Amino acid sequence: MNGKPNPLAILGLAMLSTPIVAPAKIYVSAEQAQKILFPNKQLTKAPILITDDLQERMRVASSIRYPFQGDRIWKAADGSWLIIDEVVGKHEMITYAVGIAPNGSILGIEILEYVESYGYEIAEAHWRQQFAGKTIKDPIKLNQDIQNIGGATLSCKHLTDGVKRVLTLYDLTLKAK
Amino acid sequence: MMMRCHALLGTFVEISTDQDDSQAVNKAFAVVKEIQDLMGFHYPLSELSQINRWAHQVPLKIHPWTAQVLRIAQEVHKQTNGLFNCGIGHRMVSAGLLPRHIDLSKYQLGGIEDVHFLDSELITSSKPLCLDLGGIAKGFAVDKAVESLIADGIASGCVNAGGDLRVFGQSPRSIQIRNPNLPSQLIDIGSLQNGAIATSGLYFTNRDQQQSHIINPFAQDESEAHIHFSDSYSILANECVYADALTKVLALTSALDHPCLNHFSAQAIRISA
Repeated sequence: MNGKPNPLAILGLAMLSTPIVAPAKIYVSAEQAQKILFPNKQLTKAPILITDDLQERMRVASSIRYPFQGDRIWKAADGSWLIIDEVVGKHEMITYAVGIAPNGSILGIEILEYVESYGYEIAEAHWRQQFAGKTIKDPIKLNQDIQNIGGATLSCKHLTDGVKRVLTLYDLTLKAK
Repeated sequence: MMMRCHALLGTFVEISTDQDDSQAVNKAFAVVKEIQDLMGFHYPLSELSQINRWAHQVPLKIHPWTAQVLRIAQEVHKQTNGLFNCGIGHRMVSAGLLPRHIDLSKYQLGGIEDVHFLDSELITSSKPLCLDLGGIAKGFAVDKAVESLIADGIASGCVNAGGDLRVFGQSPRSIQIRNPNLPSQLIDIGSLQNGAIATSGLYFTNRDQQQSHIINPFAQDESEAHIHFSDSYSILANECVYADALTKVLALTSALDHPCLNHFSAQAIRISA
């Protein structure tokens, strides 16, 4: 093992250097997620209109209050689906893709973006806008400075709720399409 | 250069590699998932749940990886004179941090020291067990994912399971640790090459008003079982499984010079809140 930081030096660093703020982490784009989950399939965009009734049923099933957007849904000819959604927690926002096989089972879940401690930025529309999906030209560049964050374990419970609501959407509408 | 993230082991697992090789990364995620399915306390059908249910009654054949984790857990238990013990699952269950699969109240539970190997993958236990591998399996999964990537020809990269991470290959990577006072702020601690670092801190636990998951294995009752602290404790080691396990010892003792660190060629870092 190389790289042996001196504990005292670290404490010094903590006090002297300007704090680095945990960034938005962008892992893969929507297109990359399609290739990862459906490597050999042609997907076509199939947005659906989310009625109030459907929104409510998804909310009850997942306990996520933040409304689901129906514009990031893709379909393959064999009945597979790709749905991109985000969960907005008190402390973080996670954009994720769920691949669903023709028989309704989950093919895979890929995390696209993870934004933590956004609390104050989220109110600003332009900040929110940059996570709308396609505006990010070079996802890796944003991660260049800070990549490896050590620390206490973050819980992924919110994501579990998110996947629940995507599966509810599949059961209530997509399955029959 | 690619970086991907999956939700596994109850946290977010990031894999970054210098080469773009989706297949190798998919395989490494599958390895982590297999470890989650074998050693997860949450799944009633996991091998760990089977051990907790049956090991004191019948000999159990277990997966080589589970056997390896139990052996490492016993080694760390021995070297720390019992300060590291996975036999604390019941404390986590009573605090609501883990699900209750069976009623534990009528049992006198044993610890990791009560697990006996009949052969390399056959175990039995001299007492009923409620093992929780939460303090060690994450680090083990990081190591196995790294091994899988290396076996698939990935020259260098990093696997990070929610803050417990290992860097491999020729390229050093800069590492930031969360400031325990303000976890959204990161403290740059330098760069790491071919090594692992794991951290224990309660800042997210405290923020989310949860009971502490750092358990004193010698506690006689519930009231003294959960340890509270506000600093952050990290361990640097060659392998992440040891870094992961030893952070608990460090968090319990605050002893930056605990003799077990030398034994495992590990180093301790404390960041004061």
